Amino acid sequence: MKQAKASKKYWATLLPLYLFTILFVGAPLLYMVVLSFLQRAESWGVTSQFTLQNYIQILQPVYLSTFADSLKLALISTTIIVFIGYPFGYFMAKLSPKGKQRMMLALMVPFWTNSLIRLYGWIIIFRANGTLDQLLMGLHITDSPLKLLYTYPAVVVGMVYALLQFMIFAVYSSAEKMDWSLVEAARDLGASPAKAFFTVTLKLTLPGLLSGIILTFIPSMGLFFIADILGGNKVVLVGSLIQDQLVKAHNTPFAAALAVVLMIMTTLMIALYRKISGVRDLEGLL
Amino acid sequence: MKKAVAFALSAAMAAGIFAGCGSSSNQQPKQELNLFTWMGMFPDEVLESFQKETGITVNYSSFDTDETMLQKLSQAKGGDYDLIIADDYIIQTAIEQGLVAKLDKEKLTNLDNVNPIYQSQFYDPDNSYTVPYGAGVQTIVYNPETVNFEITGYEDLWNAALEDNLAIIGNYRVINGMALKTMGESYNTNDVAKIEAAGQKLLELAPNIRLIKDENTQDDLISGEVGAAIMYTSQVTLAKMANPDLKVVFPKEGIGLGIMAQFIPSQAPNPDAAHQFINYILQPEVAKQCFEHLGYYSTNKAADELISEEYKEFLTLPDNFTADSTEMIAPISAEAEEAHVKVWTEFKNACGQ
Amino acid sequence: MKTRSISFSRIFMGIVLVVMYLPIVLLVIYSFNESKISSVWGGFSIKWYQQLFRDKEMFKALWNSIILGVSSSVCAAVIGTLGAFGMTKIKCKANGVMEYLSTLPIMIPEIILAMVFLAFFSLLGLPFGMTTLILGHTAFCIPYCFMLVKARLVGMDASLAEAARDLGASEWQVFRDITLPLIAPAIASGMVLSFAMSFDDVIISLFVTGVNVNTLPIRVYTQIKTGVTPEINALCSLMLLATLILVALSTWLGKEKQ
Repeated sequence: MKQAKASKKYWATLLPLYLFTILFVGAPLLYMVVLSFLQRAESWGVTSQFTLQNYIQILQPVYLSTFADSLKLALISTTIIVFIGYPFGYFMAKLSPKGKQRMMLALMVPFWTNSLIRLYGWIIIFRANGTLDQLLMGLHITDSPLKLLYTYPAVVVGMVYALLQFMIFAVYSSAEKMDWSLVEAARDLGASPAKAFFTVTLKLTLPGLLSGIILTFIPSMGLFFIADILGGNKVVLVGSLIQDQLVKAHNTPFAAALAVVLMIMTTLMIALYRKISGVRDLEGLL
Repeated sequence: MKKAVAFALSAAMAAGIFAGCGSSSNQQPKQELNLFTWMGMFPDEVLESFQKETGITVNYSSFDTDETMLQKLSQAKGGDYDLIIADDYIIQTAIEQGLVAKLDKEKLTNLDNVNPIYQSQFYDPDNSYTVPYGAGVQTIVYNPETVNFEITGYEDLWNAALEDNLAIIGNYRVINGMALKTMGESYNTNDVAKIEAAGQKLLELAPNIRLIKDENTQDDLISGEVGAAIMYTSQVTLAKMANPDLKVVFPKEGIGLGIMAQFIPSQAPNPDAAHQFINYILQPEVAKQCFEHLGYYSTNKAADELISEEYKEFLTLPDNFTADSTEMIAPISAEAEEAHVKVWTEFKNACGQ
Repeated sequence: MKTRSISFSRIFMGIVLVVMYLPIVLLVIYSFNESKISSVWGGFSIKWYQQLFRDKEMFKALWNSIILGVSSSVCAAVIGTLGAFGMTKIKCKANGVMEYLSTLPIMIPEIILAMVFLAFFSLLGLPFGMTTLILGHTAFCIPYCFMLVKARLVGMDASLAEAARDLGASEWQVFRDITLPLIAPAIASGMVLSFAMSFDDVIISLFVTGVNVNTLPIRVYTQIKTGVTPEINALCSLMLLATLILVALSTWLGKEKQ
C-alpha cells in the first residue's frame, strides 16, 4: 500500500521526460511519416492529398543508386574504422591507469576541436601543391600534384577521421571491463595467442565492436557536409539527397519519405545489434 | 548568379577610401534594419557610414541559398526582416506568395540612377517591388597554361582533354540549362523530353567534372585544382585580378543573365529604414564602393563612370551584349522542375563515380 | 615476446595519434601564415588574429553557441536525470517505449532529426531562433544525460538508500544526501558531453536557426563554403588553446583533490 503511494509520487519526476519526448521527438517523427504520404503542392508547400507517389519515386534507379552508393561509402569507412579503431581501443585498455588517463586526454583534445575546422585541416593537406603533395614531391615519390582533394578517397578519409573516436571509445569501454583472467586461462589451457584472441577476447569485446560499428555506420550516411567539403559535392549521400530535396527542390514530402526509409534502415540495424550483442544500450556511447 | 564573394581583403587594403563621413548624429530613438542576404554583400564602410548618417543600426544576417531565404521568410510570414537581397527567380515566387511589399517610390529619390537594362524583368515587370542591386552572367574561365585548346562556348567543355579538370556551379537550372543551350533550347523550357535529353548529354560531361561548388571557385582555379570553371561574375572578377592570364569566355551558345534585387517583405518591422537604406546605396558614390566590393556588374548607371579603371572592365557590361544573346532563368512548371532535379541527381551520381 | 607486443601497440597508437593531430597542427601553423592561400607560406604574421578580433559576427556566434550549449545541457540534465530517477522507481510498460523514443535522437542520422524539426516547428508556427535551437539541441542532449545517469543509478548500491530510510530519513533527504551525490559525477559528465555535442553541431543548427542567430559551427560552415580566410585557422588555434587550458585545469584540479 505504502509502496504504491510512493510510486505515484515519482510520476512527477518522469513527467518532464515523457512530455518532452512525446512533444519534441515522437510528434515530429510522426509528422514526418504523415508528410511522406502527402502530395507536394504545385510550387511551394504540401497539399493534404494522400499519395504513395513519394515512395514509388524512391524506387526509381537514380534514387536507389544513391542509397546503394551511400551504403557503400558507409561500409568502406566503417571497415577502415574497425581496422584502426578496434586495435587502438584494445591496446588502450591494456595501458597502465596513468597511460589510459593520458590517452583519454590525447583523444579528448581533437574531440573538442570543432569538427568542421578539423576537416578544413585536411583540405590544407590534400589540395593541389598542399602539404601532402609537397612532401611526396619533395621525396621524389611523385612528380606532379596528386589532385587528391575532391575525390572519393578524400571523402573516406574525412569520414574515418570524423568518426574514428566513436569506435575507439566503444571498444575501449568494452575491453576495459573485460576479465583478462579469462584470456590468461585460455592461454594456460594451451590456446595460441591468436586462438585466445578469437575465442575469448573478440567475443567479450563484441558488444563494443558492434556498438562502434553502429555509431560510425549510421552517421556516415548522413554527414553530407563531409562530402560537400572534401568531395567537391560529387559524392551524393542519402543525407545530401534529403537536404537537396528539402532546400533546393523544396519537395518536403519526398524528403520525408527518404528520411522514413533511412530511419527504418537505422532502426533495423540497432535492433539487430541488440539481438546479437544482447546489450540494450550502445556500448561506449557515453 | 549566386553567392557574392566578398572582396574582404581588397577592401581591407583599400580601407583608406573612406567616403564622406558625415557626422550628423541626431539622437533619435534607436532604429534597426534587419538586412537578410548572402554574406559579404556590402563593404563594412558603407554599412558603418549608413549607420552614422541615419542612426539606424544594421543587423546583417545571411543565408546560403535563395531557397533557405524563402523558407525562412515564409516561416516568418513576411515579417522579421526589413530588407532582403536575393536572386531574380526566387523573388518572383516570393511576390506570388504575397511575401513582398510594394515600394514607396516617393522615398526613393535616387531611383533614376538605376540602369534601365536591369529593370522591368520577368520577376517584376512594373518595377513596383524591387530595385536591382548587382547583376552577373555565367561565364567560362580557363587557364590557358593547363588547358591546351581554345574554349569558345559550352560545347567545348565536353572535350575529353578537360578530364577531371572542370569546376561547375551547383545550381541545376544553370548546369542543366547549359546542356539545353548546347542543344539550342531555352533555359526555361517546360518540355520534359527536352530536359531529359539534356540530362543524357550531361552524363557525358561527368568524367570532366572535378568539383561542384557555388562559392570561391576562383580559389580552385588560381591554385591549379582545376583548369576551367563555370563561374559567376564576382568570381570571375576575383580570378582575373589574381591571375590576369586567365581567359574569360562568354559562351557563344548564349549567356545566362542574373540579377540580385532588393525587396522589402510584406510584414517588415521597419520598412521606413529599408527605404532609407535602398536610397542610400543608390547614391552613385556609395554604389561605386558597393560594386567594387561586390565584383558584380553595376546596375547603377550614375556609378558606372565613377568606377576606377582597375575594376571597370569587370563591373560594366561588355559592349557586345544584346538582349538577344542573354536569357534569364525563370520559374518553370512543377513537372519540368522535377525532371530537372532528377536529371541533376543522376548527373551528380555519375560525377561521383 | 611481451615487450615486443607492447612496443608494437605503442607504435600503432603513436601513428594514429600523429595522423589525428596532423590537420590540427597544420591549421595552427598556417594561422600564422601571411599569405591568404594556405598552400603557400608567405612569412610569419599575426594579421589573421587581428582580423579575427575585429570580427564581431564571429564573437556573436561564439556567444550564441555558448548560451545554446549551456541552456540545452542544463535542460537535458534536469529532464534526463529526473527521468532516469523516475524510471528506476516506477516499473511500467511505457518506460521501455519511452526510453527507446527518448534515446532515438542520437541513434538516427542527424539529418532526419534536422528535417523533422524544421517541418514540425514550422507546423507549430514557432519563430525560428534561439528557442528552436534550444529545443532541438535539448532533444539530442537528453539521451546522453539520461543514459549516463541511469547506468549510474542501476549500478548503485540500493542498500545505502534503504539503510538511510531505516534510520528515518525522508525520501527527499535520501535523494538529496545519498542519491544525488552518488549520481553527481554522471550528471556532470552528461552535461559536459551534451555541451560538447551541442557546441559542435552543424546539421541540426543549420536547419532550425533563425534571424540573426548564427552559432559558431554555422558560421564556420558558411565561411568554409564561402570565403575561407586563415581567420578560421586563427579561431581554431584559439579554441584549441582554450581546450588545452581546460583540460590542464581539470587534470590539475583532479590531482589536487587526490
